[in-house]
Amino acid sequence: MTDAQTPAGPLTGLRVLELTDEKGQFCGKLLGDLGADVIKIEPPGGEITRTVGPFFNDVPHPDRSLSFWHYNTSKRGITLNLETADGRQLFRRLASPADVILETFRPGYLSGLGLGYEDLSASNPGLVMCSLTPFGQSGPWRDYATTDLLHMAAGGQMASCGYDASDVPDAPPIAPGGGNAWHMGCNYAYVGIMAALVYRTVTGHGQYLDTAIHDACALTTEAAIPTYIYRGEGVIRQTGRHHAAEPTPPAQFRSKDGKYVLALVAGRLTPRYVKDLAELLDSYGMAGDLKDPKYQDPEVVEANADYIINDLVANFIASLPQEEAYHAAQSRGFTWGAVYTSEELLQDGHLQDRAFWKEVEHPELGRSFVYPGEPAIYNGSPWRIAGRAPLVGEHNRDIFCGELGLSPQDLVVLAEQRVI
Amino acid sequence: MLRALEGIRVVDFSWVRAGPWATRWLGALGAEIIKIEWPENERGRSGNRTTPQDAEENLNTSGNFNDTNPNKRSLSLNVRTPKGMEIIKRLISMSDIVLENFSARVLQRWGLGYEEQCKLKPDIIYVSMSGYGHTGRNLGYTTFGPVAQAVSGLTYLSGLPDQPPAGWGWSYMDDTGGIYGAMCALTGLYYRNTTGRGLHIDQSQMITGITLNGPAILDFTVNGRSPRRAGYPPGNRAHWPGTPLVNNYRGPTVAPHNAYRTHPGGYNDWCVIVCNSDAEWQRLVQVMGEPAWATSPETGFEALTGRLRHQEALDEGIEAWTMTMNKYALAEKCQAAGVPAMPVQSAEDRVEYDPQLRHRQMYQEVEHPALGLRRMQNAPFKLSATPAVNRRPSPLIGQHTRDIVEGLLGFSHEELVAGYADGTFWPVSRERYPYMEEMLK
Repeated sequence: MTDAQTPAGPLTGLRVLELTDEKGQFCGKLLGDLGADVIKIEPPGGEITRTVGPFFNDVPHPDRSLSFWHYNTSKRGITLNLETADGRQLFRRLASPADVILETFRPGYLSGLGLGYEDLSASNPGLVMCSLTPFGQSGPWRDYATTDLLHMAAGGQMASCGYDASDVPDAPPIAPGGGNAWHMGCNYAYVGIMAALVYRTVTGHGQYLDTAIHDACALTTEAAIPTYIYRGEGVIRQTGRHHAAEPTPPAQFRSKDGKYVLALVAGRLTPRYVKDLAELLDSYGMAGDLKDPKYQDPEVVEANADYIINDLVANFIASLPQEEAYHAAQSRGFTWGAVYTSEELLQDGHLQDRAFWKEVEHPELGRSFVYPGEPAIYNGSPWRIAGRAPLVGEHNRDIFCGELGLSPQDLVVLAEQRVI
Repeated sequence: MLRALEGIRVVDFSWVRAGPWATRWLGALGAEIIKIEWPENERGRSGNRTTPQDAEENLNTSGNFNDTNPNKRSLSLNVRTPKGMEIIKRLISMSDIVLENFSARVLQRWGLGYEEQCKLKPDIIYVSMSGYGHTGRNLGYTTFGPVAQAVSGLTYLSGLPDQPPAGWGWSYMDDTGGIYGAMCALTGLYYRNTTGRGLHIDQSQMITGITLNGPAILDFTVNGRSPRRAGYPPGNRAHWPGTPLVNNYRGPTVAPHNAYRTHPGGYNDWCVIVCNSDAEWQRLVQVMGEPAWATSPETGFEALTGRLRHQEALDEGIEAWTMTMNKYALAEKCQAAGVPAMPVQSAEDRVEYDPQLRHRQMYQEVEHPALGLRRMQNAPFKLSATPAVNRRPSPLIGQHTRDIVEGLLGFSHEELVAGYADGTFWPVSRERYPYMEEMLK
């Protein structure tokens, strides 16, 4: 947790209003963890993302969703029903000094309430407003329903992910888990918002961003698009490694402890690589004949690539625990990786050296829990988790009374009417 | 047209994919990107199998490079010579951002660590994008996208239960690490513009991947539940029958939630269908024409618990129906009825047949001197005042050396010529491209 000594984050002083469900909450976290004052505005009772499991001790409750916890750190939370006149009035008051509004409602919803960019920027010309929606504000698919899985299908992720037939015959295209369609949309939304904010620091002018998750996903398949555009070729799906126009040798091998190690060897078998590989394998007595000088001839290496990869490398990894194969290879300069899960990551010394794991206090539970930390270390103005995700309506009093001057009495009236 | 990053200059040492993907966007937003390159240790322009079949494979004909490096200018420069380093220092002194994705110690070794950069430009924003970051015991470890994905835990989230991880079929962490590089640079610029201070931002590709696994990590750190368990990962389903009822972190536990083959059964003839509620399931039953298997009280598909428990039969029934239709027709029919469904789209599908991406102008043509008129990928965010657009194709290697050396840095033409003669701007022994000869006239 942050303390008084922690310097302010790079976005300190920025006020963000976040009205998002699963599509946009990660973007709000990025802004909040980097120092912005993010006010999450939820419908009375809480945002739908509070119903996403897993839950703390498997007890479903709006304040116990671990997914909500992760994606809503460093935010304050208020409740507000925009479909009431009071709700809209209060929202306009919050919007008029805001720097950024991030919203994920269906296209046209906020404008229909008189709360669109045109309405709000009239009195706040510096406002940066980002709509982050599945398909953008217009177009034939604008109103299509989506989910993470649907985005991964249409965006092209699934066409690139799956199995070698030798691993799983007849396998379907696979959508990787983790809610990454939302990450893709949020990362690009963040870029657009920051570009608009940088522009505003120079000109004072705000602007509107129409950001589409489908576009962001469609952009995130590396060489698949250029392979088609420049060569007219499609790609096949392969276990644990790049899609390709033609099959490539395996790269993911089972270790002695039943886990996996990724060793991208094919295509890199230069004489130098083979020599280093022979030394690595030989240090465990598993080099076979790889130290034979004949393997310094690229033609011999090419003719024996299958043997080197599927016999020597595979057997080497099969003879060692995952952890040992990974570090033995990397410490000798091989770009190999362990296929880790959260269990191994929590033990990782490198992450401890970088103080990556953060203890986040949950005072209402009298507990603190370990959260993942920063993707990048900012010297002098750090990324940090300013606090755990807000409870439902936790900051209603701070914001409505403290900032907008309502009385506690007013809050009771508004709560009775389901305005907050 | 107004540009968000008008007047911002970036010294771009980045290569391969992740770093160049970062500066691509800064360039589209209007920054001046000076890409520092050297043909002898170039990585990104060759070996990526995207040169058109009818073009000669050379440093200027990679399609992947073209799509990864638009909106930049190229300075070919040997930074390992005193003269080359002098030019770099001059460039940094008049730039806003330095960005690189070398291994952790390279810039230090060059005498260009953050402190040195600050001496040249006190408020410089230095973004380093390495595999493991610039601190920590494994800072010397290296990554490719799939390695970063494996170590970060991303690979493990993808696949069918009781099978090896399927992982990600491309360098997702080059795409994502790349966009994080742009995020860091813009955050740094905002900080500089509001405080007057610079920053070193030490981004790690592998660690960036870890931050995308939050709920899976919390399920372990809070609930002590290991991802190594039956039914995990659950493929395209939200849950695998007969295994512990857990969430795969992509939405509610529902069925159907899967990929289904479509007509005519080709490699990418698949669609996905999800019913988030009983109401959506009832609509799907309608769309399917109310088949007996779906409405029979024995299977109990009308209730979520029944659909979850009997997913094999459920998915078989649905697939028998989806096999009768083209994936686009199917998705349209479902969506019109309020059933969430989408086609699995290949690259060709997205570029040629996706009406929404066409409407959003995601693939606009840009003329490249060696590759011709080619469609390039556009920004997913439409900024109303300062749109991000591809203003120019990727540079030929060293295409702008004269512009930069004479025009920007103020060297004389004689000095440029001398620099070609002594190997500062191009290896003496390497054949020059015709545009370089033009430059030297």
